[in-house]
Amino acid sequence: MSDTDRVLLIPKIDNGIVIDHIPPGFGIAILEIIRRDPAMRDVVVTLGLNYHSSKMGKKDLIKLWLDELSPRVVQHISLVCPGITIKKITNYEVERRYVIRPPQSARNLLRCLNPSCVTNTEPNVDTNFTMVDEEKKKLKCMYCERVFSLKDLKPIIP
Amino acid sequence: MKRDLISLDDLSLEDIRGYLDLATHLETVPDERKLTRLPGAIMMTMFYEPSTRTRLSFEAAMCRLGGRAIGFAAADATSVAKGESLVDTVRTVENYADILVIRHPKEGTARVAGEISLLPVINAGDGANQHPSQTLLDLYTIQRLFGRIGNLKIAFVGDLKYSRTVHSLIRALIKFSHLDFVLVSPESLRLPTYLVPPPEQCMDVTFRETQSLEEAIQSCDLVYMTRVQRERFPDSLEFERVKDAYCLDADILQGAPSHLRIMHPLPRVNEIAYSVDRTTYASYFTQVRNGLIMRQAILLTLLGVAP
Repeated sequence: MSDTDRVLLIPKIDNGIVIDHIPPGFGIAILEIIRRDPAMRDVVVTLGLNYHSSKMGKKDLIKLWLDELSPRVVQHISLVCPGITIKKITNYEVERRYVIRPPQSARNLLRCLNPSCVTNTEPNVDTNFTMVDEEKKKLKCMYCERVFSLKDLKPIIP
Repeated sequence: MKRDLISLDDLSLEDIRGYLDLATHLETVPDERKLTRLPGAIMMTMFYEPSTRTRLSFEAAMCRLGGRAIGFAAADATSVAKGESLVDTVRTVENYADILVIRHPKEGTARVAGEISLLPVINAGDGANQHPSQTLLDLYTIQRLFGRIGNLKIAFVGDLKYSRTVHSLIRALIKFSHLDFVLVSPESLRLPTYLVPPPEQCMDVTFRETQSLEEAIQSCDLVYMTRVQRERFPDSLEFERVKDAYCLDADILQGAPSHLRIMHPLPRVNEIAYSVDRTTYASYFTQVRNGLIMRQAILLTLLGVAP
């Protein structure tokens, strides 16, 4: 089966969103974030895993039949998997594309790993992280002031 | 805009020098004049953890500036015992005072209090994170002992993992220059790596680890001892294993350089023998004395009152 045939296994999208260049293995994690947004409950979604990519070797791919992703979902995705591409498709054409970067701060998006952090012990205290090393993707909890690698932090699912 | 004292990360070198200069100035202000600085002001102490020096010196500092101190020294005598949240407690007590001083076992609590409250908030220790008023008095002590903060070789000894005084002081010292840190600790109590900044972020500051207290004594200008804190250990067996890892006594200090000074935030348990108190090296009670003057400087600064 050719690569073109394989790509065609996912139907072409007329109007919607394509999340592309997802590192292989992250497609399901991103789908999980999307799925938990109440606004996404009735949206038609297709997921492709381990597609051939000339840039990455392999990649995952998600197509969504909806107008826009909510900013919160995009922020969540950017924390889990920065560097992926989001394309807005209109009439089968790419109307707009952007590469998502990790945010400089993340309020109430990530859970602090420190069990003694006040955000894990007091009710109604939001978490708040600031990027302190973009290259190594290190974030500092603005409460307990510990620094963590982004890959170790778990997202807060609303 | 109100000012808090939550973390050394919030303070510039200029801010730190401001506190040090004010403390120096306060040494020359007569007691009767100080009493006229904060008449009628009320300081609220919210201590969810035990304290001797920090709480009493803040209270004494406020009284000596003409104000009054109220508060609690243990949360079990308050509505916290009934399950009241920190947020509600802060929102309540801020109605009764002009400034809040909070100590809490959980890290980040003072930051939360500072965000909620309209009053200035002082972090008097938040878990293993920071203890900024202790740090400022430590810096003041170092400046008075050596005439400078910089061009010094400083050993931190003991519990470097959980000691908030060490964490705070290192965060402050790396804002200065030409400092060599020698970290002396058992393997399980090493300084967390997130506290060691990348070299490009500090001016000529080096970190080196050793397990030899003797070597540190011979090579350093200052030895900063710490207590191994039982209350921070999740595993009591591990505490028993390391609690007496480093004990300083007059014998170990034999032949130490005359300019060496020993500091300790206190309380001590076994890590400094009483025999050391009689030597010229001991500077921990000097810290205690300096704590009163520095806390006066902190109260005046945060309440925006001239000395």
